[in-house]
Amino acid sequence: MSGVNRVGPAKAARTYAVLTIVSAILAAPFVFMLSIALSSDSTVQKSTFSFFPKELHFNNFIRVLSSDAHVGRWLLNSIIIVAFACAGQMLSSAMVAYGFARLRAPGKSVLFTMLLSTMMVPMEVTLVPQFVLFRQLGWIDTLFPLIVPQLFGGAYNIFLMRQFITRIPNELDESAQVDGMSYFGIFTRIVLPLMKPVLIAVGVFSFSFSWGWFIGPLIYLNTESKFPLALGVQYLGGASTTAQTPPYNLVMVGALFLTLPMVIVYFFSQRYIYEVNVGAGSAAVR
Amino acid sequence: MATARLGASRIGARARSRRVRRSARARKEAAWFYVMVSPWLIGFLVFLAGPLLASLYFSFTDYDLLTPPRWIGLGNYRYMFGTDPLFWKVVGNTVFYTAIAVPVSTVVSIGLAALLHRSVPGIRIFRTIVYLPSLVPLVASAMLFTWVLAPDTGLLNRALRLIGIHGPAWLLSETWVKPALILMSLWSVGTSVILLLAGMQGIPSEFGEAARIDGANSWQQFRRITLPMLSPVILFNVIMGMIGSFQIFSQVYILTKGGPDNASEMLVPYLFDQGFRFNKMGYASALSWVLFVIIMAFTALIFRTSSGWVFYESEVRR
Repeated sequence: MSGVNRVGPAKAARTYAVLTIVSAILAAPFVFMLSIALSSDSTVQKSTFSFFPKELHFNNFIRVLSSDAHVGRWLLNSIIIVAFACAGQMLSSAMVAYGFARLRAPGKSVLFTMLLSTMMVPMEVTLVPQFVLFRQLGWIDTLFPLIVPQLFGGAYNIFLMRQFITRIPNELDESAQVDGMSYFGIFTRIVLPLMKPVLIAVGVFSFSFSWGWFIGPLIYLNTESKFPLALGVQYLGGASTTAQTPPYNLVMVGALFLTLPMVIVYFFSQRYIYEVNVGAGSAAVR
Repeated sequence: MATARLGASRIGARARSRRVRRSARARKEAAWFYVMVSPWLIGFLVFLAGPLLASLYFSFTDYDLLTPPRWIGLGNYRYMFGTDPLFWKVVGNTVFYTAIAVPVSTVVSIGLAALLHRSVPGIRIFRTIVYLPSLVPLVASAMLFTWVLAPDTGLLNRALRLIGIHGPAWLLSETWVKPALILMSLWSVGTSVILLLAGMQGIPSEFGEAARIDGANSWQQFRRITLPMLSPVILFNVIMGMIGSFQIFSQVYILTKGGPDNASEMLVPYLFDQGFRFNKMGYASALSWVLFVIIMAFTALIFRTSSGWVFYESEVRR
């Protein structure tokens, strides 16, 4: 770290004071979340949640998986969606990115410009026609509309990966080519193994999109047992229309289940994300 | 003479065959290119280009999913701009939300990044705490903020009571519902902070040292060195934040359903209701194109002004 920001004791004390206040404000909702998740049903009825957890009903975490709520099933659905979506995004985007980064063909620059311009199209513009399309295919109330479009790669992911591949020295490809390796072989055996950081980053982006995506499942799914966790948690919390208080303790347990994998995935991949994100941040504005 | 001609033609033949071989290889390479990009190309045609055209077509029709689309020309747009009692309010709400949320979160994220850039022991813990909220999926944070923003028992109003302020009813108040959503967006400002922090760490320390020798105080260093060097990242954050804010959906759908009295109804939730609750697919498509045009216009506007405040240093390799 550079010497510029090393600070004296008085300034360090002030820095800590500000850091502590900011962190307390940002962390407080998490503490409250835990407190609600651990509270009893009667506390939920009266909605008198304490800030710090006072009651410790850890069995809420088990209740949610076993009985009334479908949280276990929802988790499984989310895992199915995310597994296919991530694998599809990573492989397809990598393959397309390799094509754009390394192979010459007529029409390539036009296609690349098109790829870049698709990043500007808001998802909502295609929402209605995609719904009509999937309805005609009979895919309403199935997981297919949430998985299949992901198997074709995403423009932003392809762009990230292409940028990454162009930074890999070309000599490796060329010598493999001299040895008679096919382009597909070069891609799978030489380039793909070198793409680990960007593959992980794209995997994580794809994970966090599919894991948390709300409007898609909301549009396509009607049957409770087919919901992914994000939609399920909202459904559980929205039960107030039946004039009874939603089980907010169980809703918060669901919200924690929804949050925890994100945190875990991030912690195992943060250095790759950081590397790729920073490259993208400056590349995208250039 | 004859041998020379023979030799020349032989050279010509060899060159030709080399050219043939090269063009064969080029053709093979081009074929492989199209094989490799085919997933995207197919996805592009089926899930983007096709739907985009269809959506444009639907926007000129009356379409309820049950009967085939009926062409009504500019009918949807005329209704939207002229008769729809809600459209302008929804646009106003969305623009208001974006116009406040984006600048405020830009300032807050720059401040936090500057704070987290200081190298004091334990700084990594603080960086993690600032980043953590941006990992929470929107559905989970919406559920949580139901209780953070609740009028009497809510966390925020309880905290305000400690310092003697009687907080408003937030999500139940026409005046405070949009500020409440902006506040919620500030909780997850961490992504922008991390990008800015990375940018700050990339600024060569000689710049600050040279400025200090010239007698610049820390504010002047921040204003004259850090901010200009960060401006490309700030531009990136502003544009991404702007696009995201115009598309706000989950928070509104879960927390307010657009209420009270449509004070928090925004473009995408409105579009969703029109299309998927009232089956007015034509009108929903028209709304989606208006959203598209608004986003494009604001992006162009920001890029247009960016040459005045974004600084690219050619020597710094990015």
